[in-house]
Amino acid sequence: MTCREATNLLPLFFDGELDARQMRAVALHSARCESCERDLRHLEHVQELISDTIDSAADDIDLENLWPAVERRLSSTREPWWSRLRAWWSDGEHVWITRLPAFAAAAVIAALVFLLFAHTPPLSTPPAAPQLAAVDNATSIESLVTDVDSVAVLNDPETRTTVLWVNDPGPGDAP
Amino acid sequence: MSSAPRVVMTAAIAVCSLCGLAAAGDSVAVATGRPLASAVEVRIGAVLASNSGKEFDQRLASMQRQFHTLFAYSSYRLVKEQRQQVAWGEKVGFDIPGGRYVVVIPKEFKDNRVLMKVMVIEGSRPIVDTALSLRDHATFLVGGPREDNGVIILSIGADTVN
Repeated sequence: MTCREATNLLPLFFDGELDARQMRAVALHSARCESCERDLRHLEHVQELISDTIDSAADDIDLENLWPAVERRLSSTREPWWSRLRAWWSDGEHVWITRLPAFAAAAVIAALVFLLFAHTPPLSTPPAAPQLAAVDNATSIESLVTDVDSVAVLNDPETRTTVLWVNDPGPGDAP
Repeated sequence: MSSAPRVVMTAAIAVCSLCGLAAAGDSVAVATGRPLASAVEVRIGAVLASNSGKEFDQRLASMQRQFHTLFAYSSYRLVKEQRQQVAWGEKVGFDIPGGRYVVVIPKEFKDNRVLMKVMVIEGSRPIVDTALSLRDHATFLVGGPREDNGVIILSIGADTVN
């Protein structure tokens, strides 16, 4: 990849909008090219400035009156069903006279459910590991140490596959 | 409300509570990061990708889409494959062409993800020394080490065993 090609793709690279092959090509090029690396750093700097500006603007917003306004609106809403259920539960003269048989019935149902599941025969064969394309292969890299010149991490959204590409010095170029 | 519907309602609430308690037990196990799987099977494959020929090894059929999307080589050949069941914290070693060596150490199983350490070593030089996490049954690729007019692509995966 030439500098000219890379320069055109840098904004898209920075936003993660390139396909996996282009991402890798730009990453490898910028790792070797001081000028493109500098351009990339410039883009990062611009984004930091924008983020800082937005953050400081958000900090300036006065949220003091927000909660009183929410409370006012909440007080005008209908009491939720669980509150009504709780009120019904604590209402009346019964208590344990009606609740005790209910708990006994619940215990019997729970025991029956447990026995049902405990006696369910297992599947005759365990399911085979799904094929690569059918599972989410996205990998989270926590740390990385390497002794080679450059390393690129590629995430292909189409196949949800993560690749750690090591630019190990040798004859020829990676395709 | 008469007492009969109340009894039914009370029973329903009690059953839900019991189910909730059972589910809470599992949630606590997950939240504490305790490995729910007793062991893990590590899969490592070494693929030689090159532009010599147009062979696609049929043993790699499940990964064909990934290879063709991610890389631009014309030939993919599985040169070595290994599956090994290990306990958490134990290592799996694997020789790959070019005098290189791969070490995979599954650390723990948390939130349906396998945390593992992966090292690719060439002589005394660590080409890759990384800690990563991937979903159960997922596969991660490491590519780039050169070999025989091509490159080696390693597929590393993990399947938990209960």
